Amino acid sequence: MSSLNNFTPTGPTQREETLSVHSQAESLRGATEAPFRRAKPAAAREMLKDVGLRVGSIVALVFAWWVTSLFFPPTLVPRPWDTFAEVSAIVSTGNFFIEMGSTLRRVLVGFGIAMVVSIPLGILMGTLRSLESFFEPPVILGLTMPGLIWAVLMIMFFGLTETSAYAAVAVTIFPMLAISIWQGTKAIDKDLIDMSEVFHASAWSKVVDVILPQLVSHLLAAIRYGLGLAWKVVVVVEMFGFSNGVGYQVVRGFNVFSMKTVLAWAITFLVVMIVIEFGFIGWLERSVTRWRPRVEAWRR
Amino acid sequence: MAYVHVEQAVKSFPREDGTDMLVLGGVSFDAKERGITCLLGPSGCGKSTLLNVIARLERLDQGYVEIVSNHGESGTRLPQLGYVFQDPRLLNWKRVEENLIFALRGMDVPRRQWDERIHTYLGLVGLLEFRKQYPLYLSGGMRQRVGLARALVIEPDILLMDEPFSKLDQLTARKLREDTLEICARLQQTALLVTHDVEEAAYMGDRIVIFSARPAHIVEVLDNPFSPLERDLDDVRFIQFKKQLLQTVLNLVKEKEEA
Ligand SMILES: Nc1ncnc2c1ncn2[C@@H]1O[C@H](COP(=O)(O)OP(=O)(O)OP(=O)(O)O)[C@@H](O)[C@H]1O
Ligand SMILES: [Mg+2]
Repeated sequence: MSSLNNFTPTGPTQREETLSVHSQAESLRGATEAPFRRAKPAAAREMLKDVGLRVGSIVALVFAWWVTSLFFPPTLVPRPWDTFAEVSAIVSTGNFFIEMGSTLRRVLVGFGIAMVVSIPLGILMGTLRSLESFFEPPVILGLTMPGLIWAVLMIMFFGLTETSAYAAVAVTIFPMLAISIWQGTKAIDKDLIDMSEVFHASAWSKVVDVILPQLVSHLLAAIRYGLGLAWKVVVVVEMFGFSNGVGYQVVRGFNVFSMKTVLAWAITFLVVMIVIEFGFIGWLERSVTRWRPRVEAWRR
Repeated sequence: MAYVHVEQAVKSFPREDGTDMLVLGGVSFDAKERGITCLLGPSGCGKSTLLNVIARLERLDQGYVEIVSNHGESGTRLPQLGYVFQDPRLLNWKRVEENLIFALRGMDVPRRQWDERIHTYLGLVGLLEFRKQYPLYLSGGMRQRVGLARALVIEPDILLMDEPFSKLDQLTARKLREDTLEICARLQQTALLVTHDVEEAAYMGDRIVIFSARPAHIVEVLDNPFSPLERDLDDVRFIQFKKQLLQTVLNLVKEKEEA
């Protein structure tokens, strides 16, 4: 028995008294080995299976498309390979890069504006009760407003300028971003704020070192969802009479009733989306959550 | 040189049903200057609450806490507190050394001293080789030691420790108690150490303040007859003292039950 005596007037000792020699050894040696290293071959096999499933799902989709196209005239449902040929034509003429570039720029600028406004506002709403009460109604109302209406309003206000595209994107996704940052801020750990107070952290350090890192997963979810919304709005804006951008090309396809063109542009669009989603955002997520051991034991 | 005086501290928390639960029922004591004061009391009696009050994270309903720190010729400034929380409270997204830097920057320690300080205090808690590691890759006990290093690294006027060893295995805890005692003695550190472990109080405390169960009041304050260097865990006289202290505590409990 250990010689430790606990001072517990209400009942028997509360702390387990065990002579734990093993944990001493563990604390000396344990973490010198790299943590959470999986056996190599198993990891490779997992990954292969994962990629296989993803590719399989796309192949199945194309197959279903092909089967459908057998029952309809090509003007209504073009064959997959005809459409793919159109895609490669679009890409090889260099047309694609110009149009996609304009669209991307509109999305990113609008998105950037929305981010810059919603991060501070969301944090303030999560911190100050009075600001929360004041901004909650407009933010909730903004969330329910359809992007199409914003697009119309902005074009009427700014005319057919780049500004209207930026504004429409920013205004549409702003409420969604603000809400998730606001909710995330409300859920942060008060104990850590207390800690930062004890060590006299500046307001800036509290935001950057303590609050923002706790918002990372909220932010990432908001970015994913926000980008999805931004694409939808920007295409609508472009359809209204811009003379470039993916939305404009889609309208052109519509005017000559070429299903193939419309689909081809949609596909290029999807590919770019996927690259951004899995490439950029995936990379971003991995690099900002490096501190977190990946424990996925409970998933099958 | 720093000085803590708690006078008639009263604090209650609101319950769910709207009534108030009295936690601190008029607590008064003086902390020992340049020494460790152990706050010994049963679980839930309000020890952490009292430390939070001293750290100005909570307000008292009545009474006051006086903290004075004098810095020779540089005059008097706000006292700097190092707090070892009951849970580690690390910034898990920052590496071990960045967690210490967070405290160093907050306390305006000149940047050129950072590296040396980090080296010293991480070495002290035995975590030098984990300097660049993220906290979630450390064991619970190691995280607690990072918390201790973070409080020490700012070389505070007053060190507040809330059961810093209770989650460690016995051997590590023993080693860390020895080290902490030695550091505090060497720095002549004024420290408050919360514990519910009688042996720890006897070993660590230059002064031992015994709390009653909630609502907490002070039942006894006694000064340790042994100086830090004399506290030999195997010395018969020291063992005798520990027994006495335990007996005192048990008697207090018994009196309470009979009353
Ligand atoms: N923020 C709070 N709101 C309401 N009640 C609280 C709050 N903080 C603490 N309490 C209550 O006050 C009492 C004392 O809590 P405290 O954490 O100070 O105990 P303690 O002496 O540190 O106990 P332990 O040794 O178990 O850590 C407890 O009954 C707890 O439920
Ligand atoms: Mg406590």
